[in-house]
Amino acid sequence: MSITYSDVGENLRRIVISGRLDVPGTDAVAAQLVELTAAPKKSVVVDLSAVRFLASIGVRALITSAKAVQQRGGKMVLVVSDSSTVMLSLEATGVSELIPVFKSASDAERAAVA
Amino acid sequence: MPKGQPSPDIAGAGLSAPPPFDELAIDANGAEVRRASEWLVAACRQRDVPPARVERLVLCLNEVLANVITHGGRRALVAPIRLRLEVGFDRDCRKASVTVSDAGLAFDPLSVPKKALPKSLAEASPGGLGLVVIRRCSDWLHYRHEDGRNHLTFGARWDLS
Repeated sequence: MSITYSDVGENLRRIVISGRLDVPGTDAVAAQLVELTAAPKKSVVVDLSAVRFLASIGVRALITSAKAVQQRGGKMVLVVSDSSTVMLSLEATGVSELIPVFKSASDAERAAVA
Repeated sequence: MPKGQPSPDIAGAGLSAPPPFDELAIDANGAEVRRASEWLVAACRQRDVPPARVERLVLCLNEVLANVITHGGRRALVAPIRLRLEVGFDRDCRKASVTVSDAGLAFDPLSVPKKALPKSLAEASPGGLGLVVIRRCSDWLHYRHEDGRNHLTFGARWDLS
């Protein structure tokens, strides 16, 4: 399980998570995700293309972060691989309708700062 | 590795019929939830459950176990959680059923009113998503409380073709 980030210009933070966002996986990265999305960068891309599994505890962490970004006037978007089961979890919880989802990181970055 | 109950030899043939189900007992913690997921994937593969159905079953299993660990109380945490996978036929379809049995507080998830999906991020509540996932990713749910244990069964169906 890992979480890394890089800042792209003045207004965008890109966060990359890999591994399984099940109970132990989310426990391992949730605090860091909150901290990274609470930073002053206006918009955030959370890249989940290397996440192999997403349980509702992970969805909960994404909702909490997206709300925090929205409350300071920014936008959080997700990158999800076509071949992963992550989309199944996002659709089942309705979150794919609330947080924009992209297959490509560059499309996600453009949308986050638009 | 998944294991089922031993079954009697087929009379006269000296062969054993495949066990009718797979079972696993786990402790109530996050690492064991991961072990249970791996067990379910392997057991479903052995019984030719389609990968798309396995994904849904594994997702449901994670949510059910997370609920037991989080809300089941002290007894849920000290007694083993038992899992059973059965794969069989249902009229013209095949079906896979997973039963999770725990000794925690009695809780019938079917008694919880269905929650409408949020229409905006502001409206979204981070809580209660596990049950939403279980309901949306399973083809059926069945609950009973017996011998001091919750028995929750969820499953998937698929066409034979």
